Amino acid sequence: MSSRGGKQKKGNVTSEQEEEEQPLQAVLVADSFNRRFFPISKDQPRALLPLGNVAMIDYTLEFLTSTGVQETFVFCCWMSNKIKDHLLKSKWCRPTSPNVVHIITSDLYRSLGDVLRDVDAKNLVRNDFILVYGDVVSNIDVSQALQEHRHRRKVDKNISVMTMVFKESSPGHKSRCEEDDVIVAMDSKSKRFSMGTDEFEIRHDLLDCHISICSPQVAELFTDNFDYQTRNDFVRGILVNEEILGNQIHLYVTQDGYGARVSNLQMYDSVSSDMVRRWVYPLTPEANFTDQQGQGCTHSRHNVYRGAEVSLGHGSQMEENVLIGRDTSIGANCHISNSVIGNNCTIGDNVVLDRAHMWNNVHISSNVEIHQSVVCDGAVVKEAVRLNKQCVLAYNVVIGPNLSLPEGTVVSMHHPEEEEEDDDDEFLSDDQEVGHSKDKTRQKAFNPAEVGPEGKGYIWKASMNDTEDEELAQCLWGLVLNPDPESDSESEASEESQDRTFQLEVLGTLQRGLEENIVCDNLVLEINSLKYAYNITLKEVMQILTRVVLEYPFQQQGTQLTTLQYTGSLLPLLKTWSPVFKNYIKRAQDHLDCLSAVEELFLEQDTHQTAMVKVLMKMYQLEILEEEAILKWFSTGATNDKSRQLRKNQGLQKFIQWLKEAEDESSEEGE
Amino acid sequence: MELQAVLMAAGGGSRMMDLTYNTRKPLLPVGNKPLIWYPINLLERVGFEEVIVITTKEVQKMISTDPKMKLDVKMKLDIVCIQEDAHMGTADALRHIQQKIKTDILVVSCDLITDAALHEVVDLFRAHNATLSMLMSKAHEFTETVPGQKGKKKNGDFVGVDGTGKRLLFMANEADLDKGLVIRKSNMRKHPRMHIKTGLVDAHLYCLKKSVVDFLADNRSVSSIRGELVPYIVRKQFSKSMTSPNVNDEADQKLKKKDGNANVEIKILSRDEALLQLTRERSCWNDHRGDMSEAYHGGRLRCYVHIMDEGMCYRVNMLAAYIEANRLAPKLFDEPAVHPSAAISVRCLIGADSIIGASCQISDKASIKRSMIGASTTVREKVKVTNSIIMHGVTIEEGCNIQGSVICSNTVIGRGADIKYCLVGSAQRIEPEGEHTTAYYCLTLPSHTQVPLTSTLSGNSRVAKIQ
Repeated sequence: MSSRGGKQKKGNVTSEQEEEEQPLQAVLVADSFNRRFFPISKDQPRALLPLGNVAMIDYTLEFLTSTGVQETFVFCCWMSNKIKDHLLKSKWCRPTSPNVVHIITSDLYRSLGDVLRDVDAKNLVRNDFILVYGDVVSNIDVSQALQEHRHRRKVDKNISVMTMVFKESSPGHKSRCEEDDVIVAMDSKSKRFSMGTDEFEIRHDLLDCHISICSPQVAELFTDNFDYQTRNDFVRGILVNEEILGNQIHLYVTQDGYGARVSNLQMYDSVSSDMVRRWVYPLTPEANFTDQQGQGCTHSRHNVYRGAEVSLGHGSQMEENVLIGRDTSIGANCHISNSVIGNNCTIGDNVVLDRAHMWNNVHISSNVEIHQSVVCDGAVVKEAVRLNKQCVLAYNVVIGPNLSLPEGTVVSMHHPEEEEEDDDDEFLSDDQEVGHSKDKTRQKAFNPAEVGPEGKGYIWKASMNDTEDEELAQCLWGLVLNPDPESDSESEASEESQDRTFQLEVLGTLQRGLEENIVCDNLVLEINSLKYAYNITLKEVMQILTRVVLEYPFQQQGTQLTTLQYTGSLLPLLKTWSPVFKNYIKRAQDHLDCLSAVEELFLEQDTHQTAMVKVLMKMYQLEILEEEAILKWFSTGATNDKSRQLRKNQGLQKFIQWLKEAEDESSEEGE
Repeated sequence: MELQAVLMAAGGGSRMMDLTYNTRKPLLPVGNKPLIWYPINLLERVGFEEVIVITTKEVQKMISTDPKMKLDVKMKLDIVCIQEDAHMGTADALRHIQQKIKTDILVVSCDLITDAALHEVVDLFRAHNATLSMLMSKAHEFTETVPGQKGKKKNGDFVGVDGTGKRLLFMANEADLDKGLVIRKSNMRKHPRMHIKTGLVDAHLYCLKKSVVDFLADNRSVSSIRGELVPYIVRKQFSKSMTSPNVNDEADQKLKKKDGNANVEIKILSRDEALLQLTRERSCWNDHRGDMSEAYHGGRLRCYVHIMDEGMCYRVNMLAAYIEANRLAPKLFDEPAVHPSAAISVRCLIGADSIIGASCQISDKASIKRSMIGASTTVREKVKVTNSIIMHGVTIEEGCNIQGSVICSNTVIGRGADIKYCLVGSAQRIEPEGEHTTAYYCLTLPSHTQVPLTSTLSGNSRVAKIQ
């Protein structure tokens, strides 16, 4: 694959032609139908955002062309005019282009489903086609996958409707999108999604490239199932109905090649750095595959790329993996690493850039430090500003001077609230008209504490959208790669959960007993059967029972109870359930265990410690606990500071004193 | 000595009671050798010189008297007897002999007949310093019709192995999976490719670390190796306390205290552990790709499995397996099919795939095909035996026709009886054929009751119909 340069597609195309008479078609969806890149995508559709100084849609089109696609339908929705303008100017719309690009725009598309339904309605595809998003960066040669797909369709009479392209990459790889963490069950031999067969494989090392080879039925199936919105809906629908409808989905797993979808800024960051590190060869920055004048740059060692007319001040260092666009000037003593800088930028002196993504026409003053952040077109960063990790400066924002933006700050010229107003429209598509609320925004002043004295822009907060499921969608950077979210040991967890479920069951039983007035004997019977069902020892049963009963008032009336209310509701309960207790508390050891359970609970509920005496008193009166046991517990049970503290409780001391005296009396009486 | 071999031969053969009613399972004849000979031979072939045999008194007596065992077995048998009625599981048995165990062990079950290359299993054990390595094989479809049995039980074990097909990651029985297959994501993260296989038989051959035996000694509740211990170890591979890399003795002790009397940890700190740890740290070798964490993700328990693709591997624990093993076992050794001491008439027909035991008498015009005839059996004139197993001391009178059946020892089959797909218990008398001519009523009982096809006759003349 690597031997095929950006412009050598002719040979591939002819071979495809021989094989299939009809030209290979592709459907490119240049809208994400979500707001992950807001507020950046308020000004520019996601497909046009620059990655390595080239719009993302150009990578997708280049990928399609190089795999032999001859006809591409680009579906645009949000800011379709901008995409259209971009494409008309690009090489794809030149008469010499091997890939004929048709642009179809509509404001009515709300999802991938709508697009494919439109494909079906307009009868655009005649044969198998490739379905991609406008933000996919890839150099995978899908012709192999295409062949397999066609072969399967020939052999099995159109049973296979889709072949999804996956790339092998182990968990923990940085190009894996944590949100797109797929686990696939597949039949290793037939490469089919399945779990039914004798032997199958569960794979967690696959990366969904969001490239799918679809049969024409896919569009029809979307029309038939009008509730399919996304490709996931489709895949799920097909797999669930596999036995009924007989449609199958296959996978194509590639080991080499690169394919990733820029679905959030985390992915943007890693794809961009992969690009600069030449993983997407032949799509490299210096290749200038978009064939635009002035885009060329030179490639020198340590992956440093320089466009035309770049000036670098004295003492400035470009360490490694740096791409600098044309006409950019950099001041003295700067330190730049792992960064992409766009065209026409000016950077002052003593600037530190690490993992920074700066787009075009950005002005950075002196003494600025930027770490892993995105700075959009026209933004101005004034003197001595520090951008910590994962900051985003959207279009034309001004920041500073003398400011440090905390981690994850998002600044935009659009006010967040105008966004919220638009939210009334329940659809998540990007196609809102923003302009109408512009005058409202003007009235709101910029907060100098947030953006600096000369700053212009509003802070966007990630938690702005408080509906739970959209929280994820709002987070620009996506979930942070967590190297090892180790959960507890399995068996321990399961044992724990068993105790827990047992506790809940006991609670339920007691609750029912109270409501339906069940005799205590029957309750004991039920608890005993639960004990066997969950394999719980007698000791644990008693401890859990004690805990459940003592927590019962909290359970029923919330945790805000005062001590008085608590004892008020608990004591009658103890009376009701005393036969249950008596059934379990028989031996001396049982008494001690019960007492330690009581102690444990009151150590947790330390605000209610005064209630403990009353509980113990009641249990003593009800003859659940014996005085010897209580005395023994009091004298010997203290093992740590807290329980010693507990024993110093005045009420408890008095109670014990009283018990002792009572004992003396009774023994005297006995004599 | 690197490995001590332990042979489990105390099982009663509860899944084929009809056969084991009179003969204990280890002594059932397979290819005219007692079943226990096969695992012993397997161990002998790979060079074991001593084996600890756990068995019952009865079997011990038989082993010491059986001429076959005396002649063929050169290795030293260290026989440990356990109470027959003590209901000891295999793990209990291991606990019983804990004192004898000085090194890692290789546990074999007495009903294993295989031509597997044992070194594959042991190599996995060595190479990965594994806690457990075991042998599995693709389940065989039993081709022969099983007498007295219709349909067969499905063996529904799910076994999960990693991409290399060696590391054992997951084990579950179909019966336990009421809510579907549950696999933890953290396991998937460590082992991104997991092959789930079904239709495998566990050969019940395990290499175990000595520490596992010590663990058994501490945990009296575990009674079976296959049923409890192996699933436990497989599960424990991913438990957190085992994976934390710097568990020193102190922490171990703490853990022990915390768990109280139930010591749930398997201490696998061996004397070389520190050195091995160091080696692994210094080495660039790793068992996985992707994330940058250390080899085995710091896990200390590792289970491996060798799955045989071809070759033969039978566990003789069911009638079907017994018959199949009898058919195939003779191929394992190259001994003359007909014992030299057998008196065989010149005018009888004996197929090449049949075995005739010592001091047999086979008379004129008898025809024996694909069958095994045990020692001291008399086969009279015009008897036809096809696809059958005749144990020792059986007398088959003239004109009998025996097909697809198992005839246990010391039975006398009356003249002209026609027996098809039957199991005849030991010391039976089958009345001579008289008025019964239909093939469906092929057996005549002493009481002249008629038993339909696919029935079982057992030692105490009990007639059981197996559906």
